[in-house]
Order: sequence, then structure tokens, then C-alpha cells
Amino acid sequence: MKIAKKLGRAVAAATLGMSLSVGAMAGEVSIGFTGPLSGGAALYGENTLSGLRMAVAEINAAGGFDLNGEKTTINLIPLDDRYSPAQAATNAKRLKQESNVSAVFVPHSGGIFALQDFNEKDNFLVMAYSSVPSITEKGNSLTVRIPPTFDGYVKAFTDYALEHQGNKLGMGGATHEYAKIWSSMVKKEWESKGGEVVADTPMDYNKSADFFTGVSRIIAENPDVMFVGGASEPTGLVVQQARQMGFQGGFIVMDQAKIDEVAQVAGGLDMVEGAIGVVPLSVYETPAAQDFIKRYQAEYDKMPGSEAAYNYLALHALVEAMDATESTDPKTIRAAIGDALKNMDDSKNPYEVTEVTENGGFVTETTLAVVKDGEIVQVEID
Amino acid sequence: MSLFLQQIINGLTLGSIYGLVALGLTLVYGILHIPNFAHGALYMVGAFMSYFFMVDLGAHYWIAMAGSAAVVAVLAILCERLVFHPLRHSPPIHDKIAAIGILLFLEAVVQMFWGSDFRRMSSPFTGILNFDGLIIPEQRLLIIAGAFVLVVALQLFLRKTMTGATIIAMAQNRDGAFLVGIDANRVAMMTFAISGMLAAFAATLYAPINLVYPAMGHLVIMKAFVIIILGGMGSVPGAIVGGMIIGFAEALGGFYISTSYKDIIAFGLLVLILSVRPQGLFAKGAH
Repeated sequence: MKIAKKLGRAVAAATLGMSLSVGAMAGEVSIGFTGPLSGGAALYGENTLSGLRMAVAEINAAGGFDLNGEKTTINLIPLDDRYSPAQAATNAKRLKQESNVSAVFVPHSGGIFALQDFNEKDNFLVMAYSSVPSITEKGNSLTVRIPPTFDGYVKAFTDYALEHQGNKLGMGGATHEYAKIWSSMVKKEWESKGGEVVADTPMDYNKSADFFTGVSRIIAENPDVMFVGGASEPTGLVVQQARQMGFQGGFIVMDQAKIDEVAQVAGGLDMVEGAIGVVPLSVYETPAAQDFIKRYQAEYDKMPGSEAAYNYLALHALVEAMDATESTDPKTIRAAIGDALKNMDDSKNPYEVTEVTENGGFVTETTLAVVKDGEIVQVEID
Repeated sequence: MSLFLQQIINGLTLGSIYGLVALGLTLVYGILHIPNFAHGALYMVGAFMSYFFMVDLGAHYWIAMAGSAAVVAVLAILCERLVFHPLRHSPPIHDKIAAIGILLFLEAVVQMFWGSDFRRMSSPFTGILNFDGLIIPEQRLLIIAGAFVLVVALQLFLRKTMTGATIIAMAQNRDGAFLVGIDANRVAMMTFAISGMLAAFAATLYAPINLVYPAMGHLVIMKAFVIIILGGMGSVPGAIVGGMIIGFAEALGGFYISTSYKDIIAFGLLVLILSVRPQGLFAKGAH
């Protein structure tokens, strides 16, 4: 009997303690993240997360933000989904139920589509880091798309390649969903502008152990330009092998890969001469971008990519919107995020995004960079 | 013609790597009847060790390879001593679960120390040979030659030395081996050590033309399992021939049919061969 009583008291104390600790967390807002943190795409997930972490650290170091007169800090909860849409959905459900997050960051299109199935019903904001145009075209009212859509790139890249490099294109795209959509758009655009697609050999950038076979198949058709792209590092291998087999032409690099990172793997910028791709963050000369790069390098000791910078600014915008509206309600934040971007301090906005479309896409200028004489040069798009 | 020869070279390179990894897997299976799912992780650790010796300590490529082989051999022995040996009287499913556990553990440890970055490790053999349009990077030639040397050395060790003979004896007949006084513990440790060394050699040979990252083992281990099923579980020639079959199927199929179908071709072959010879190409009887 005595033991039962003691046990009862212990349980009561524990419950009290628990409710107390919940009370202590009142000045805290949870934000979720689900992305690949292990497996082949772990690096990508961690880079994305590093930008978010940096923003959170800055906000919390300043003592948090003001929410209805109370200083509130951010609690970022990252979960690993190994790139799987199904796991992303499970993670989002868990984040909502256990921590009542108002927003979940997802850096892959499969996961984003999975979350869009129920985010309006479960009431949380999907912070989508993917350039697939249909993410915002579907009209989901609680979605924010962070990077620009890639249709602008497809047009600009093919225009440049056709004008400067020739009209025979060898397609060496990848087999994942995102790359397939990209490839098919490039192919359509290329042919509609009068170019000729001489080879179409998609390669499994995520699962293949070797690209020599695929690359030699493309080179055998003597293309002027090669379309390549998956994650930066395997793309670097493809580029290197193409050069080893004597390919002299240019490359259209899908936006997932960053020219500077590709060059590192391929063996220097000389190897990627003539490559057309998105402007790597390292080449941005604006003070906001340079300042961000400096702070990031101090923290992580490496060059940040766009996934870190974009997610960094998106998290700041999200919190700015909470601050301005004194609310954590997803609908209210979503409506206020455009103004938040405008009012945000420049140092928090390395890409200087100032607008959100009606569908929730951040508006960023489409940029194009090309490697000329061993240097990455930004080119104006007309 | 040079295009065809090019694919032959590609097939040989791939087949050599697959074969070396499969050899280690098949040796362990033949003797202990453990499907060592952690073998891919040993391969990955081998690559990271070579990277560590070469890039962080500045050792020469060959020294790094030897050092890596030694470390992975010790690691494999530890796996056997600490995990598989205590489980020897348990149902086979426990070995399988333990193997998967080791795999996850090693991957997490490597990710903790080195992070998930893709790394590049360059060997001293970066030249490219060009025979009238047939292009062979030196490292690929080295892979083929290296695999050949290793296979011959392994054969000599197994056939010509007393220690090697004990391994064969264990594989052929466990009870018989005990009766003539072969120390099962010693053979088990040695087998694990050899399989670890082969994985480290394969990884170090292949890493310079590929990327080094914690999940790199997944790519080859899947293939290696297909190969040992194809060649016959536990058969040494089976692993070599199986490796070459898969390597050539990928290279030729990928070139002449389509890169998107190269896995289908490899697995199609598996189905075809198993329906004719369910025990695999070289196994004497199904286990």
C-alpha cells in the first residue's frame, strides 16, 4: 500500500513537472523541417538545414522576436526522410501533432507534393524548396515556393546555347522526377527553336556506380552541347568523363547542380568551359550576398550554395511575418510574407527577394552564368 | 569498332570492382553461411580510410591502400568476434539483423566523423591513354589489372598454402574440418579479414574515378548480392564470372540498348540464369 502511495505521488510529481515544462515553453515557436539527412542525398539535406539553422541561431541570439508582447524564440525540429515522399508525409504529420508547427520546410518536390495533399486540412504552411513550376500552379493556399521556377532557366539556357555553341544537343539528364521534368522541357524548347536532339541518354545520377557507358553513347553522336545535371558532384563526374572522351563543346547544366561545385569535382573550371547554368552564390557581388557568405563561412567553414541562402532568407521572412502579424496562424503568415520580405533587413535577404506571387512563389530574377576562359561570368538575359 | 572495344573496357572495369566486392561476400557466406549485409559498409569504410591516409596524412596511394586494407581487416575481425561469433548458436535471422545493424552503425559513425560531403580522392594515375580513338583512363586500366592480380593471389593462397586450405576445407565440409582438427575460430577470423581486405582494395581502386561518401556502399552491395546468387552462393569462380556477367550486361546493354534499361538487363539475366540453374552457375548444390 505504502509503495502504491509513493508511486502515486511520483506519478503526480512527474505529471506536474511535465505540465510545468510545457508552460515554460510558452515563449517558443516550433518550425519543422523534413528532408534527406542520411543516405545518398544527405549532403543536400544538410546544406538546406544549415541555412535554416543559421537563421534560427541569429534570431535566438538576439533574444527571439516579439509575439504579442512576449519574447519568443524559435525551436527548429529537423526530421530525416531519406528523400522519400511517404516518409516526408509521416514526418509532417508527426511535427504537426507533437509540436504543433505552423510551417514545415521541405527541400524536394516529391515530399512537397505529398504534404500538399493534407497541409490545408491539417493547417500548416509548406515551405517548398524546389523549382518545379506545378508546386505553385496547383493553387494550394498554404504553400510558399522559395526558389524561382525553372521554366525561365530552360528558355534562357537553350537560347544562349543555340546562339553561341551550336544546334546539336546530346541529352545526358538524370532519371529522378525533377530531372525528368527538366529534360522534357529542355528537349521541347530545343526542338521548337530549330535545334536537333542527337542523343537522349538519361543516367541514374543517384544509383549508378559509373557513367562511362552513358557518356560514351552521347559522345558517339558528336553533339555540340550536352545537357547534364543532377546533384553537383555526380554531374562533375559526368562532365569529367565527357572531357576525357574528347568532348569539346559546352554544357547546359540543370539548376540542381551549381557550376562552381561541378568544377570542383570535374577538376577545375577549365574542364567546364562553356557550361551554362545558374549563377552560383559565390559569384554574386551584392553586399547582401557577400555579407551572408562571410557569416556562413565563419560558421560552417565552407562556401554556401543557394540552398543554404534561400532557406536562410525564407526562415527570416517567415519569422518576420509572425512578428508583424503577432500570429502563428499559417493563413495569416502566408498573407503577410510578401510585406515581410519587403521590410526585412538586407542582411537577412542575400538574394534580395522582395515579392511573392499570388500563388506563393518568391519572385527572383532569372540569372544565367557561363564559364568563359576559365571564369564564371554572369550574363544578362534579354 | 573502337566504340565496341570501349564498352568492353567499361564492362571489364565494372566487372572487376563488382567481382572483388562479391568475392569477399561469397567467401564469408561459403564458410559461415552469413549473408553479410554489412559488407557494403566495409567497402565504404575502406574508401574513407584510404581518403584519410592520402589526404589527411599525405601517404602515397599504395601505402594508403595497404593501410586501409589493414584497418578494414581488423574491423571485419572485430565484427566477427563481437557480433557474429556470439550469435553462432542463434537462429540465422539473428545474424541477418546483426549484419544490418553493423551496416547502419558504420554508416552513422563515418557520417559523424566526416559528414555527408561528397569527397574526391585522386590517385597518381590520372593520365588517359588513347589508342586510335579507344580511350582508357589509366586508373581504369589499374582497376582491371589490380583485380586480376588480387584474384590470382587469392587463388594461390587458397590452393597452395596450408592456411588457405583450411578455409577451403571449412567451406567444403564443416564437420570434416573439425574432425581433422581445424580451428574454426581462426578460419572464421581469417575469412572475415580477407573479405574486409578485398573490400578495401576494391574501394581504393575505384574511389579515384568516383565519389567518396557515406552511402557509397549501397551501389555495389546490391550488385554483389545479385552476383553471388548468380554465381552460386559461396563459390569463388562464381563471384568472378558473375561479376563479369553483370559488368558486361551493364556496359553493353547500356550502350546498345538504353542506359535506362541497364539494370533491367542485369536482373533479367539473373532471372534467366536462375530459371535454368536455380542453384547458381557454379554451386555444387543449393544451400
